[in-house]
Parts: sequence; structure tokens; C-alpha cells
Amino acid sequence: MNGASLKYSWLTYRRDQLWFPLAFFALFVVITLIMPNPAIRFTLARAYLGFIVPLIGGIMASYAVLDDPAIELRFSTPVRAEQILLARVGLIVIVQAVCALAFQLFALALKIDLSRLGNVVDVQWIWLLPTLVLAALGIAGSLAGAQTVVGAFLVGTVWLVELMMKSWFELNAKYAFLFLGVFTPGHPDLVLSRSALAAAAVALLCLSWVLLHRQERYI
Amino acid sequence: MIDIAGLSKTYGRGARTARALRGVDLQINPGMFGLLGPNGAGKTTLMRILAGIVNPSGGTLRVEGHDLRTESGKRAAKSVLGYLPQELGMYPELTAAQFVDYMAILKGLDEPRQRARRVAEVLEMVALQGSAHRKIKGFSGGMKQRVGIAQALVNDPKVLIVDEPTAGLDPEERIRFRNLLVSLAADRTVILSTHIVEDIGATCREIAVLAHGQVRFRGKPSELTQAASGHVWTVTSDRLEEPEQGLTIVSMLHLSDGIQYRLVGRLVGERAESYAAAEPARPSLEDGYVWLMKSSGGALPDSGKL
Repeated sequence: MNGASLKYSWLTYRRDQLWFPLAFFALFVVITLIMPNPAIRFTLARAYLGFIVPLIGGIMASYAVLDDPAIELRFSTPVRAEQILLARVGLIVIVQAVCALAFQLFALALKIDLSRLGNVVDVQWIWLLPTLVLAALGIAGSLAGAQTVVGAFLVGTVWLVELMMKSWFELNAKYAFLFLGVFTPGHPDLVLSRSALAAAAVALLCLSWVLLHRQERYI
Repeated sequence: MIDIAGLSKTYGRGARTARALRGVDLQINPGMFGLLGPNGAGKTTLMRILAGIVNPSGGTLRVEGHDLRTESGKRAAKSVLGYLPQELGMYPELTAAQFVDYMAILKGLDEPRQRARRVAEVLEMVALQGSAHRKIKGFSGGMKQRVGIAQALVNDPKVLIVDEPTAGLDPEERIRFRNLLVSLAADRTVILSTHIVEDIGATCREIAVLAHGQVRFRGKPSELTQAASGHVWTVTSDRLEEPEQGLTIVSMLHLSDGIQYRLVGRLVGERAESYAAAEPARPSLEDGYVWLMKSSGGALPDSGKL
């Protein structure tokens, strides 16, 4: 993907979808600013990085490929499935990365102590891996169901169920638990959990790649 | 050059199976080729298969020697074809030049200066050089279609596939668009799919008529016209009584002494006696199409209005 291609990926992305992450970013910035208590500020920062960034990434990814007005034209070009995935999902990851990093700078400016989540690299893992998994799930779901809403529904369900049943997941399904690093930064199986999540993201992207070859389902 | 043999396409499974194409055989040579047929005949499915978007269920298909049943063949074929779909989706916030430039990138034109030159060329070919930097959202239907053709041409394709391109255009735009397609067919294969008989007659050297997923006719437009010879009639009636079953009304014209019907069908036996005043008429391509549909069990109802 060259610079011109990236420029057009950006220009052709639906603006309302780009406002979505920015709106949440702004919302959390404002709420954090008006909360004087450092503990609440930390909770908000953790929630934004660990829960909100992945959720938005997953929902946006659900719409990334199929919600394209020129999808039939795109499919008539010799562009490979992996290039489509990279162009459409890559952009979402970039947007989410910018939001996550900007929020960390904001947190730093407010002297919010993110070291409670681990070192700088650990903090990146808590938003990046769940974002990749939910984005891959969203896109695979949308392609499997040939409808964007299927992917978004799957992402929302997994996110909600894991948050509501966090204790159960931590005990019984820690390798499938997206938020282990957020809730238990020092967990002894954290590295294995991260590896499992990375593998899940790759597997779901591979599934998306296979599904994307069945172009007739999506026009 | 396009070779199609025994091509079939089935959608769905079990009770919900729909057979869109049933053993289509066609050889399409360079020049302008028309694909005619009623709605639901399978034209768009065939166009999408040719464009490498839809996978055939059976049969063989080669576009410029590339086998469309394999992924590598499909990609190779896509690099030598231009496609204008029936429902042309665009990015309204892009300008015409940006949209064509983006399509050029997707088609593998990586060198920026060469690409910019080609984009300017194709926009000039479709007479949009003056609107190249205007956003597509402000364009008329005809201008959007021209942007569509420009993007289809940007990779200088050997095969150009256009699916129902004149639907929704005003008469002037339609004529301009038809002329543009004919000029493009001078050095490439252009496949025009439509249900507008007039567009085919005005542009194509060779045509095929598709109905219920099968090729019902393959030949020159004049041959299709001739097929209706002896089966086209005009009858003037002072009553508003429609002709009986077995005949298709192609047109109705209100005259001072009644209504003149143009009919296609056989006038034999009792029916011939009922229409003693019927006068044979010179067939048009549309009559030929209607006659073909009637005689081959196509989609036209008897005594129906077209």
C-alpha cells in the first residue's frame, strides 16, 4: 500500500465512521478533565484504553469492507483480498492507535499514573491486542453474514459478555479473555494470554481473507 | 477475444435454487457486441462473471486467453478489462480526477506521472476535462456515467464491459454515450448489455439475445430483424378492443379514424379471417426481438403491452 493508496483509503472512508472514534475520544477527555479525583481519572483512562478503543475498532471494522459504495468496482480490479483487508482495516487500526496514543499523552499531561497497568509497552498491549481481535472478529462476522450488522453485533456481544462475566473468564477462559491485561496487569499467564489473542486475531483475519474471495456474496 | 462454453450459474440451494445461466456458449470478437434480453434473463450475472466478480457454477470461460476459473487467471483477466456496472457506486466526496486516479491505483498503475497523464487522457475522452476537479456529488447522471467509463478505460483495457449504461440518461446523453462506446470499440472488445433494443440496433455489429439464462439468438441485428419478416402487421381499429390472444401489441397509435396497432405474431386460420384488414409491415429490430421472445418461449406475454 503506497502513499497515494493510503490517501484515497482515507478520503473514501465514510466520514461519520471517522467521527465516531473522535467523538468518544473527546467525550472521555472532557469527562476525565472534569473529574478531580485521581483514582476516577485513572479508572476513566483505563476504561478508554482497555475497553472503548477496542470496541470502537471492532465496530468500525465491521463496516470497513462491505460499507463501500464502489465495492463492485473495487472487486472488478485485480486488487488482492489481502490488499483490501490491509487498506480498509489498517486504516482503522491507525485511527485507533492515534486515539490511544493521544489519550496517553493527555493522561501524562494530567499526571494520571498509567504505570499501574504495567510499563509503557504493557499499556500498549492492553488496547492493541483487544482492538486487533475485535476488528478481526468484526470483519470476519460481516463477511460470514454478508452484512455489516452481523459483525457489529458479534463484536458488541463478545465485548459485553466478557465485561459482564469478567471473573468467570479470568478463572476459566483466561486465554480468550480480552481484558486480562486491563483487570490483572500482573497476571502470571499474561504473556500466554497475549499470544492466544494474537493467534485469534490472525486466525480471524485468515478467515476474512478466505471469505473475501467469495466476492459475489457482497455485491 | 472472449470464449464462453457451457457456462452455468446457480444461486442458492435446495428449494431456493435459481438457475441464472444454463449452458451459455458464446464467442465474442473485437468490436461492439450487444447482449440483449428481458429483465432477469441473466445478463448482469454474465457480465459479472466476465468481470471476474461472480464465480461460474460450471463451464469454461476465457478472457483474452485467461481462464477465469482460477484465481491467477481471474486477476490477469481483470488487469485487461474495464467494467462499468449497472449500479455504479462512487465516492461522492472525491472529484472526478481523484476517483479515476484511485481506480487507476487499484488497477495497478503505480507510476504517478504516467497515471496522472492517463487520468487526464481518459477524462478528455469522455469530455470531462472541464469538470475534472469538481466533486462527483454535484454531477448529473450522464456525467457520472462518463466518470464510470473513464475509470473503466484508465487501464486501457482490451475488453470493456458495460452493463445497462444508458438507463436513466436523457435522450441526448444516451446518444452521446452510445457514440462514445462505438468509438471505443474501434480497437477493443466492447460488450454492451441492455434491454433497450434501440441502443443495440444503433451500435452493435454482433448481438446475442439471452432469455431464462440461455442464448436464444446469436448473429447480426439485421438477421434478428429479418426473423420477424412476415409476422409483423398493422391494424387500424375504431374500437378500443385489443387484439386477441396469440398476438403481441408492439405499439399503439391514436389516429383520427381509430387506433393503429402494430402486431407481432402469426395470422393463420380463424385469426387471419378476423384480421382481414391487417397489412403486413416491415419489421424493425424491436419486432425481431419480440418475435424471437414469442417464438422461443421467452418472457413476453401474448396480447401484452410492451
